[in-house]
Amino acid sequence: MAISAGVDMGTQRVKVVIMEDKQILSQTQNFLGFEPTKAAEQAFEEALQKAKLSREDIQHVTATGSGAGMVSFADSTVSMMGADARAGAYFFSSARTVIDVGAEEARAVRCDEKGVMLDFVVNARCAAGAGTFIEAMARALEVELEDMGSLSLKAERASPINASCVIFAESDVVSLIHREEPKTEIARAIFDAMAERVSSMVLRLGINPDIVLVGGVAKDVGFVASLKRRLGTEILIPEEPLFAGAVGAALIAARRAGRRQ
Amino acid sequence: MKKTWPNRPEAMEYFDEISNFFGQREKEIREQKEAGKKLIGYTCMFAPIEFILAAGAIPVRVGSGWYDAAKLGDRIMPVEVCPVIRSTVGAKMVNLSPYLELSDAIITPLTCDGRTKLSEILSDFKPVWCMTPPRVKDDPQSLSLWKEEMQVIRGKIEELTGTKITKSNLRSAIEKMQKATKAFRRLQDLRKGPPVITGRDAMLVSQTSLWDDIERWTQKTNELCDELEKRVEQKMWAFPPDTSRVMITGTPMLWPDSWKVPNLIEESNPAGVLVVDEQCSGDRILYDPVGVDEWTMSDMFDAVSERYLMASTCPCFTSEHGNEDRVNWIMDRIKEYKVDGVIYYVVRGCILYAMEYARIKRILDRMGLPVYYLDTEYTREDVGQMKTRVEAFLEMLEARIDI
Repeated sequence: MAISAGVDMGTQRVKVVIMEDKQILSQTQNFLGFEPTKAAEQAFEEALQKAKLSREDIQHVTATGSGAGMVSFADSTVSMMGADARAGAYFFSSARTVIDVGAEEARAVRCDEKGVMLDFVVNARCAAGAGTFIEAMARALEVELEDMGSLSLKAERASPINASCVIFAESDVVSLIHREEPKTEIARAIFDAMAERVSSMVLRLGINPDIVLVGGVAKDVGFVASLKRRLGTEILIPEEPLFAGAVGAALIAARRAGRRQ
Repeated sequence: MKKTWPNRPEAMEYFDEISNFFGQREKEIREQKEAGKKLIGYTCMFAPIEFILAAGAIPVRVGSGWYDAAKLGDRIMPVEVCPVIRSTVGAKMVNLSPYLELSDAIITPLTCDGRTKLSEILSDFKPVWCMTPPRVKDDPQSLSLWKEEMQVIRGKIEELTGTKITKSNLRSAIEKMQKATKAFRRLQDLRKGPPVITGRDAMLVSQTSLWDDIERWTQKTNELCDELEKRVEQKMWAFPPDTSRVMITGTPMLWPDSWKVPNLIEESNPAGVLVVDEQCSGDRILYDPVGVDEWTMSDMFDAVSERYLMASTCPCFTSEHGNEDRVNWIMDRIKEYKVDGVIYYVVRGCILYAMEYARIKRILDRMGLPVYYLDTEYTREDVGQMKTRVEAFLEMLEARIDI
């Protein structure tokens, strides 16, 4: 069977997955910093070492993500939506909708049982539905990013804020702070606002269960709780949602390697 | 703006020249104006070209496709207004468009809110002749109201040019336009098979008919078709025959800047080929001929009036069954041109097209045909994001075939 690699070049991080026969051999991630190309190469080298493989063992590398074109060692590229659909069906065969919330973009993909994308929507205009929103709000609340989720879960109710724009939302949050609203409730309000944006995007595709959530933000318990409330359905999350895009790309790379032979 | 891609038909060189707003054609129009000809601009496809030609005037569409001009328009109207309107006003503010500047009068059909108020703004600079198309085509009074509008416009054209529209000059104008339609349809038929011409070249050909001398345009389009027919024999394709076939519908895309979506589609990886569109800036310009039964004045007048109302698929129309003619046009083209997927293109502020999307998507979903809503602005800044979306859509079309 083919050994393949998927590289997901996001806006903050690069994620690399090496697979053989649909099994994950290794996965690594690296912050992009100011030298994204180098960061990607490092992550790839590290993934090879972890899997005890050399570059020649990899039959096909497929890159995805907003920086896919910057991955010099990739043999091909695939769209983020195509990779998400494939990964969603890989993790859960019942997946029909895959939501991917990354650092600066959120998207939702409708797919079939084989992981072929059927329709998609993107929220690219505003970061209010993406990970950087939580970061900005955590700064405003003077709370560690990791603590935002657990904090929000303690809230008894949410204070509504404007989520049409990160900047407006931040000034809403500041006025809530000045009104001395508890941080727990503000945190919950932030996740609710974000979930509102993401769910309105998902609803444009219609509710097609099972719904799978991937991307770095899927790790955030606060956001997941808000999104479940908003969509009124269960949400499936793979163990390592951050690597979903790279897994999808690696699966597509394996197909492409097979086709070439 | 010279476009280069491999195997471009030689006959396209002419259309490149004509597409230059500051070139030969502008010079020619200036000369004709000095010799006493009038230039009649129009903002939308409801203006009766045959009447303008019959009176010996030059018809030119004057809506602006310049991105930067839209930013100028922002100074006097909110950014929520459709950029086609903001850009047309912006172009006027700096006298950017030679055809708008050279117009002796402008026909402004009031098809949407933007065009209604655009008419007012332009009236500060030029004589403006409004036309009000009825919003429900099939009501018994609609056609008679429209004919009254056409009578008034006819009178105004005659007054400006000092030329009576007669049986013989109207017949000759109708025949010129019928020949143009025939040449256009010949080109369209060539697009039904494997891609022998890029969608962008075909769009440029259609669009130059809006300001070129229509007889010369017809001749050059026929020459292009001759060349393309040879290429069909040689199987010399603009794209591999298995390239995904895309249709665009929605807001008009106007030369020179508002061309980014066709560029994205045809330069994407995987690439798609634009085979047909449902746009008043493209395939709708010339598709419908004026159908005359008898060459009497009243028959010709009625035939011209009916052509501009009944054949239009503009989203300004409605009925209890929605905008049926537009839906039918789209459905027919999908079958005839073997369309794999539809890009529904809307610029922000283009309310009518935006609001018709849900209904059209429902119908296309029922057919199992992928459709993607691509919304944008008069700007180059979102090209990266749009590329991601267009590529994913084309990948999806490809994956449906190859899995």
